[in-house]
Amino acid sequence: MDQELIILLVMLGTFLLANFLLHLPVSLGMALGAIMGALVFGLFFGGDISELGRHLFEGPFAYLDTVLIIATAMVFMTAISKSGTMAALNNVIVTRFYKVPVIMLILLMIIVMFPGMITGSSTAGVLSAGAIVAPILILMGVPKEKTGAVIAIGAILGMAAPPVNVPALLIAGGVDMPYSGFEAPLFFITLICGIIAVLMICLRYCRHIRIEDLSSGLDPEISRRHGFKIYLPIIVLAVLLIACRVFPNALPNIGMPLTFLIAAAVACFTGEKFNFINATKESLRTTVPVLGKLMGVGMFIQILTLTGARGWIVGSCIEMSAIEGIGMVLLFIAIAVACPAFGAVSSYGSASVLGVPFLLILIDHFPNGQVVMAAALSCIVCVGDLMPPTALAGNYAAALVEEKYSKVLRHCAVPALITIVLSLIVIIFSETVFSFL
Amino acid sequence: MVVTIIYLAIIVFLLFFIIWNMFTEKDIMLQIDAALVIIPLVLRLLLIK
Repeated sequence: MDQELIILLVMLGTFLLANFLLHLPVSLGMALGAIMGALVFGLFFGGDISELGRHLFEGPFAYLDTVLIIATAMVFMTAISKSGTMAALNNVIVTRFYKVPVIMLILLMIIVMFPGMITGSSTAGVLSAGAIVAPILILMGVPKEKTGAVIAIGAILGMAAPPVNVPALLIAGGVDMPYSGFEAPLFFITLICGIIAVLMICLRYCRHIRIEDLSSGLDPEISRRHGFKIYLPIIVLAVLLIACRVFPNALPNIGMPLTFLIAAAVACFTGEKFNFINATKESLRTTVPVLGKLMGVGMFIQILTLTGARGWIVGSCIEMSAIEGIGMVLLFIAIAVACPAFGAVSSYGSASVLGVPFLLILIDHFPNGQVVMAAALSCIVCVGDLMPPTALAGNYAAALVEEKYSKVLRHCAVPALITIVLSLIVIIFSETVFSFL
Repeated sequence: MVVTIIYLAIIVFLLFFIIWNMFTEKDIMLQIDAALVIIPLVLRLLLIK
């Protein structure tokens, strides 16, 4: 047996043992897996033990920028939730469009996706926008488990949607590709899948809505109290994000973390009064487990790379795709199954461990569709966030509607499958039909 | 230079709340999560990495 395979099995084995048997958090499980892999490499395969500690600390640094983006984005999301911006948006959409349920449902789906788009975290979508939209859907008559499914799917599609898609960032970083030009393919896939999902699950319950039935879930006063200025934080965020790209010479790129904090500061003065310090404490309390997971993934990937196990995975995938006749079919089946399945461990880990090698092989076959393929691959990876037992977004969504996750997951299956199939179609035709993206 | 200082200030801001979270959190696993996050932030703050 190859030494790389032995190390890979030790690392995965340790992680699974820590996660499933000892019930340790994913972050700690991944860190333990990395430590075990490093020890086996150092003790049995001639690795330099004195350097292993440095590598374990160096791994998380790959995700430092991502940590800053997610943490500040969560501060922003909490600020606009507390100031009432999200509730006001919700209110406007429902009261204006309840007679046109198709448009109302699509806009509600975009609201659920919005926090994930901004933060790159599906958990943010469920906890902030999901918590506001779910009661409205239930009042409309959508069953609880289906409401949970819509929130979970919306959250993971938001995680995949631009501008921040962490798995796409990880995949792009893994092949030294700048995270640029991802917006169009990501929007294309996530919006189509989001629209299909919400209409497929909810439309039949929303054909004849009476606004009086929804009044208990809405807060119409909030828009009247604060007027248009309640939307200023979102407008400031959009302007800052877009302006520095459109006018790069006039406006320096101040970076997403600072942009989020500026928009969060604006939220303190445009809506309901809230304590910014308490809001920050609350948001970071929710975010720390996600950030910890990123740190664990960083260690895990660093040791996988150091020991050659990651290269071994790439080599095996290349060998598989080279099998005459069925090689590419096997590759697409592997992408469709392995990427989401690895999400049971971590979707971020899936992006790094599987997404990068898969993209390298795909580039070999479709050299002109790199960005579109990386974007589509990241969407498949994001579906992994529904995979139990980790399934952060799914479990939070189930808790939100007070249902078991198994019941919610059942209704997520078809939308998840549609996302995977559409992403595969985009990959296959990345050089031709979808080259405009 | 100015942007670097602002970003170091953002790290101090986040570190303060994550350390606060680590000490006030009752679940030991979440405390470990917080510690994992604190290490690279402190190293970046000290400009070691």
